[in-house]
Amino acid sequence: MNTQESQEMSATNERLSTAALAAVWESTPCGIAAIGSDGNVRAINPAFETCTGLASATVLGIGEADFDALLGTLQLERRRVETSAGGLRAVHYLRSAERRRTDNKALAGLSAALREPLASIYGFAELLLTQDYDEETRHSLATTVLEQAEAMSNVINDRLDTRQIEYAAAAQALTGSPQRAPVDHK
Amino acid sequence: MKKVLIVDDQPNIRWMIHLALRKIFVLEEAGSADAAYVCIKHGRPDALVLDVLMPGSMNGFQLCERLKRDPEFAGIHIVLLTACGQVADQELGRAVGANAYFLKPFSPMALAQHLAKVLLIRPEQGAL
Repeated sequence: MNTQESQEMSATNERLSTAALAAVWESTPCGIAAIGSDGNVRAINPAFETCTGLASATVLGIGEADFDALLGTLQLERRRVETSAGGLRAVHYLRSAERRRTDNKALAGLSAALREPLASIYGFAELLLTQDYDEETRHSLATTVLEQAEAMSNVINDRLDTRQIEYAAAAQALTGSPQRAPVDHK
Repeated sequence: MKKVLIVDDQPNIRWMIHLALRKIFVLEEAGSADAAYVCIKHGRPDALVLDVLMPGSMNGFQLCERLKRDPEFAGIHIVLLTACGQVADQELGRAVGANAYFLKPFSPMALAQHLAKVLLIRPEQGAL
């Protein structure tokens, strides 16, 4: 690859990256406020207004201390991440109580969807190990374990991995670097 | 022999419980709370293994509450069996009068031991 091709590819990648970040900025359900290096609120995304009920005119340009005071009265889950990228000082991420309730409900639904096939896997495996059955019954039980493992795998592929992708996209938009969703290694 | 009614909309779960209980109890099965109520009216079981989330006009919580409020059926030992793992769900199970609460996944042999203890060894039923 010559220098010109390399520069063109680099420019293309940068355009794609910018477009992807813009899409996440616009579509993420997480409220985001960017604090400029001058300490004032430089930008907020659409979800910020939904989360807080505050119009952009109220927030843009105010100092971070006033911003903190303004948000302090609202029932929000908030996280501040320091950064020096793009002329920024910090980025605030917000999630409304309503959004948190929705997320909790979705997680409860996911938990139930995983527990159903897991109940069959656990139960039939225990029966196979502790009880005496004829060959035909043993085969039926093992087949059911396999089918339920596939059902569980489908739930993970369809629902859990989608959340991982959404998380990674949102995290990258917020911090400027690719991140993996946290995994609970129990 | 004591009679146990297994209520779950998942045939796999009914079969699994059936295999665990078949040597010590007479078993009946129903695929919904509505069908279970019809079974119970026809012949009162000694215990109910009752799933919570099922299609139909009643879920497991509602059937449990209905039975516990009826003097004719209040003495049936009810084991709620559910994939709802939140504390609020367990509190609701207690509120509607369930005698025990098994969270999926569960050990079918532990369920068999629980029912054997309650129905065969110690018939006086404790609350949840």
